[in-house]
Amino acid sequence: MLPENLTAIVARNESWTAESATEPYEAGWAKEAIVFVRALKAPTGPLPKARIEISADGLHWCAEGSEFDLPAARDAVTFQRVSHFGNFLRVAASLPDGVEITVLVTLHLKA
Amino acid sequence: MTQLDDLRRAIRESDPALSRFDPLPRIICLDDFDRGMCGWTQLVGNYEDTLDAMLPGYAQHSHAMLSTLPNWDFGSHGGVDGSYALKIATRPKKGAQNVAIKRLTFRKAGPIRLEAYFTFKPEATELALSETDIRSFGFLYDLQIGDTSGPGDRVMPHLRFLNAQDGQHIQKWQFKRKTTPIKPIGTAGKTITHYHLAPDDWEDLPGGEQRLCYNEIPTKVNWHYLRFDFDLAAMQATRFQVNDRVFAMDGYDCIRIPAMKNLWCMLNLAFFAETDTDKRAFAYLDSVCLSGDF
Repeated sequence: MLPENLTAIVARNESWTAESATEPYEAGWAKEAIVFVRALKAPTGPLPKARIEISADGLHWCAEGSEFDLPAARDAVTFQRVSHFGNFLRVAASLPDGVEITVLVTLHLKA
Repeated sequence: MTQLDDLRRAIRESDPALSRFDPLPRIICLDDFDRGMCGWTQLVGNYEDTLDAMLPGYAQHSHAMLSTLPNWDFGSHGGVDGSYALKIATRPKKGAQNVAIKRLTFRKAGPIRLEAYFTFKPEATELALSETDIRSFGFLYDLQIGDTSGPGDRVMPHLRFLNAQDGQHIQKWQFKRKTTPIKPIGTAGKTITHYHLAPDDWEDLPGGEQRLCYNEIPTKVNWHYLRFDFDLAAMQATRFQVNDRVFAMDGYDCIRIPAMKNLWCMLNLAFFAETDTDKRAFAYLDSVCLSGDF
């Protein structure tokens, strides 16, 4: 059987301000992930980096260490490759006051 | 029972994956989530030109996941068999819902049977039983007659287990006959929308009170069996069973709205979860068997 391969939209047309993150996603079956972030509208303000977070239980989160740019223009896309992440995975960002981005976040997962 | 029925039954009962189901003669799908998502996906709302046109009820939906039912206190719970179940998780906001859907069409307007093993639990954010944190778990079909078999309707049978509301542990099955007003989307005149899982207009299924096994802490689950029989010719439910209880369906009916121009022979099935607190609700399936008599 071919290895499992899933494209999961984990945030769609969500406006991120302040402390924002995707909902916890379980992907323990996957060995690798690529997180894509697309800006659906023109962001406002200087964007911070986004970070990958992992968790043992979906409740308590640790920074995995990977950081990547958020897309700086409408329809721009950025991505981050991740592997060896355990089960729970999410993308998080801390946006300063006045900074906002509307995102489409896609997880592409492979066993 | 014919000889063929006897033979079919013997073969199925010797197969552990099938012997826990009672399918009709033809198995349309047997979705064991150890084989992946099996065609269960996110229920995205309709839109045109902009995603802002999507109704908020749909905008909140996200992708189901393959879960081992992991818990902070004892680790992975696992499925009925194998490691994985399909997990439908809401956002942590009172009234939030999420849906997983499978989209098919039918080849004969006759009897179909949906069987599933399910369970539900709130996210274990507290060291408390939390039995009233989940508002509901439920399922639905979205059906429409064939293009030459009309006149007829788009028919949406819904059933939900109203577990709790505003802290009251209610535990009863409900159905729905009304959806929200149909609203045009965009300017092309091709797309409409309505939110059939709106919290209003649920009605009690007569005799539908049922106390399900919940277990004794917020992380332990027990799996429940459900079976829902529906006749696509009459567009009527014929039987509903959960664990040891069979419910009378005389008082049951479906949402019925005019047939739509792009949905002929549609056979969609969906499961949903709804939270009653600012805590995620999790519904799990392992597995789902859809069968038909054709």
